[in-house]
Amino acid sequence: MLRYLAKKLITLILLLFLVSITVFSVLFVLPGDPAQIILGINATPEVLANLRAELGLDKSFIAQYTDWIGNLLLGRSQQSIHYKMPVFELILGSLAVTGPMALIAMLFALVISLPLGIYAARHQNRPGDVTVMFGTQLGLAIPEFWFGILLTLLFSVQLGWFSAGGFPGWNSDFWGSLKALLLPAFALGVIRASILTRLTRSSMLEVLREDYVRTARAKGLRERTVVYVHALRNALVPILTIMGLQLGQLLAGAIIIENVYFLPGLGRLVFNAIGQRDLPVVRDIVLFMAAAVVVVNFMVDLTYAALDPRIRLE
Amino acid sequence: MKKLVLLLIAMALIVPASWASAATPQKGGSLIIAVGDEPPGLDPTASASAAIDRVVYANIMEGLVKVDRNGQFVPGLATKWDVSPDGKVYTFNLRQGVNFHNGEPFNAQVAKWNLERASAEGTKNAHPEFFRVIAKIETPDGNRLKLTLKDVDALFIARMAEGDAVMLPMKGYENMAAEPIGTGPFKFAKWTRGDSVEMVSNAKYWNSQLPYLDKVTFRFIKDPSAQVAALKAGDIDIIGWLFAAELAADIAKDKRFKVLAGASTSELIMSTNNKVKPFDNKLVRQAMAYAIDRQTVIDLIMAGYGTVIGSHWPPVTPYYKDMTARFPYDLKKARELMAQAGYPNGFEATIKLPAIYAYAQRAGEVIADMLGQIGIKLKIEVVEWGVWLDRVFKQKDFQLSMIGHSEAWDIGIYSNPNYYFQYDSQEFRDAYAKALKAPNEAEKTKWFGRCQEIVAEDAVNGFLFLTPALSAMKMELMDWWENYPTIAMDATQVWWQK
Repeated sequence: MLRYLAKKLITLILLLFLVSITVFSVLFVLPGDPAQIILGINATPEVLANLRAELGLDKSFIAQYTDWIGNLLLGRSQQSIHYKMPVFELILGSLAVTGPMALIAMLFALVISLPLGIYAARHQNRPGDVTVMFGTQLGLAIPEFWFGILLTLLFSVQLGWFSAGGFPGWNSDFWGSLKALLLPAFALGVIRASILTRLTRSSMLEVLREDYVRTARAKGLRERTVVYVHALRNALVPILTIMGLQLGQLLAGAIIIENVYFLPGLGRLVFNAIGQRDLPVVRDIVLFMAAAVVVVNFMVDLTYAALDPRIRLE
Repeated sequence: MKKLVLLLIAMALIVPASWASAATPQKGGSLIIAVGDEPPGLDPTASASAAIDRVVYANIMEGLVKVDRNGQFVPGLATKWDVSPDGKVYTFNLRQGVNFHNGEPFNAQVAKWNLERASAEGTKNAHPEFFRVIAKIETPDGNRLKLTLKDVDALFIARMAEGDAVMLPMKGYENMAAEPIGTGPFKFAKWTRGDSVEMVSNAKYWNSQLPYLDKVTFRFIKDPSAQVAALKAGDIDIIGWLFAAELAADIAKDKRFKVLAGASTSELIMSTNNKVKPFDNKLVRQAMAYAIDRQTVIDLIMAGYGTVIGSHWPPVTPYYKDMTARFPYDLKKARELMAQAGYPNGFEATIKLPAIYAYAQRAGEVIADMLGQIGIKLKIEVVEWGVWLDRVFKQKDFQLSMIGHSEAWDIGIYSNPNYYFQYDSQEFRDAYAKALKAPNEAEKTKWFGRCQEIVAEDAVNGFLFLTPALSAMKMELMDWWENYPTIAMDATQVWWQK
């Protein structure tokens, strides 16, 4: 187990190193001068040069890179060009929105997909199964942002049950904040549920054909026990893998939904930062996202072992 | 047409004033304003970004001179100013007993320090040239500021009314971009990054009657349909700048809301690279000017809101000269000019459109179709904003583009041959120099008018229309600015009817 951890840690560090070089180089050659974006199109060259010097943009590639990584290793955050505050605080602040939203979305996805997938598997090729499969096709085909807008029109504009967007902040209004995340999380969750439902169905179908399931049935266990205890546990391994990937994706990829609901989350932060060429913010977030994906997958690996004792982490 | 425009302007000037007198403002209440862009910092003296001025200018920070609803220059922190007969010495009488939000007093010393700071070596003010015309700053007493200019500058007062010239406190100025401190009717309260900026009423404001509101929140919502949904759901009170003009009619139909469609200072132009073939040929540019049906452009991309322009000057700004009749929509003339220029069968060209402005993109598509009528086949290329700034603006690697120029007094960009559209005309430079040195109003009108004329005649860029200042708000919200003659969303005199 210890060796496994060490191995994972080394992979993580190597990966972050590679990501850091890549993201830094890409941003370095990307056209678009942060100073010009801040000062606007009528700024004089003299002022542009002054601001570039202040932001350290006139330094060499190596100097800028070591500045960034050096500070990062020392745990010191760079300042956001756009927001004039430490990038770490920005990331933490936006994670307080995106993190819970991603978790709630996954919860929605799980609650929808597991029962539906199992139901479909047990009624394979019968009308119930066909209906569920049709529903998942629809779920996959609907674009997130459009579904988000539909939800807003119905629940916010027509019914007035939810606000159309925005985020009051956990400290000032806990329930309001939770409520603000429900619609976007639902929009995100439904799409993911479609994938998970299909996966649950096929995974269950496969497991239900196994010999041990027949044995379990033969020894007279109740069908419920067979399905929910014996079969489901084994069917969960591929489902968890995909869920882990989805969670990682949600942390990084909720850009569109966060824009539709104007939530101050990580996706919108990085989206705006790229547009504004707020390079310190973009760099740190990309690194963070890469790390998040690795860590989530690592946790998924751990749960494999818990689910299936035959799997050993080495 | 000219009469119609004049009439419209006159109406725009009269209507809000009569509304203002229709009812007595009531105090209290809070206001949530939706705007699209989050400002890059909150210090107007550190960036020319319009997003900063929209939030901060006139609300939190003020300069010596202000712009009123009609685009006129009125007293701000200066109660009045005198200009010497030779136009070189300005004496400002400063308002007494004014304090910054942090308690520091405002006086002539502070004003002097601000003006010096803006033009100093190593300045980060986006427009140090506004201030470098000042040769000498004297403070005869604590409340008077005497400025001696190097030369006559007809735009000096206009410059002093820009966001770049707001007054900052001498001590607490370092952290302005994160926590702005000014003398305005509202005090900065909180900036929730990615979400909103909050400000509360300044109880010690120099005009004790103002402001009427207790609290103002600017909320950043970029997506046009999300803005409208938020208004209808009651999460915001007003959309300060409605991007989706096509939704305006739908909002106005709703009894709970009203839509104001005034004039802004932002001219949408089809920027043209005057140094690359075939656009270096004046006849080609004039042919394009004839081939563009401006009213149809407005109808198609702005749902009919917007004012046709014929040159680079907002009709709401003083010294405006109407040049819209110079190139009426006339395909026959356009084709003749194309033939004269040596392109009877037209040519192919590329138009680069900035992705962040939806209206610029749509206008590009409409224009491409119109120019197709005279044989100019346009290839449309949509580029991201940073790339636009680099390729189009800095490296001038483009033939045609489309962009809104939002600063009001910026016709001077045509005197710089290195500016991205690379217009090089001695005639214009001479006229502009004369305008800047004009000693009186009649001369200013004459020479600024001449500048507009030359630029129109040379068809330097495709002058399309003045972007409408479209705002949509709850019915009970009173005295919001109908026109935006300066880049600001001034909530000082806005109030709720109860």
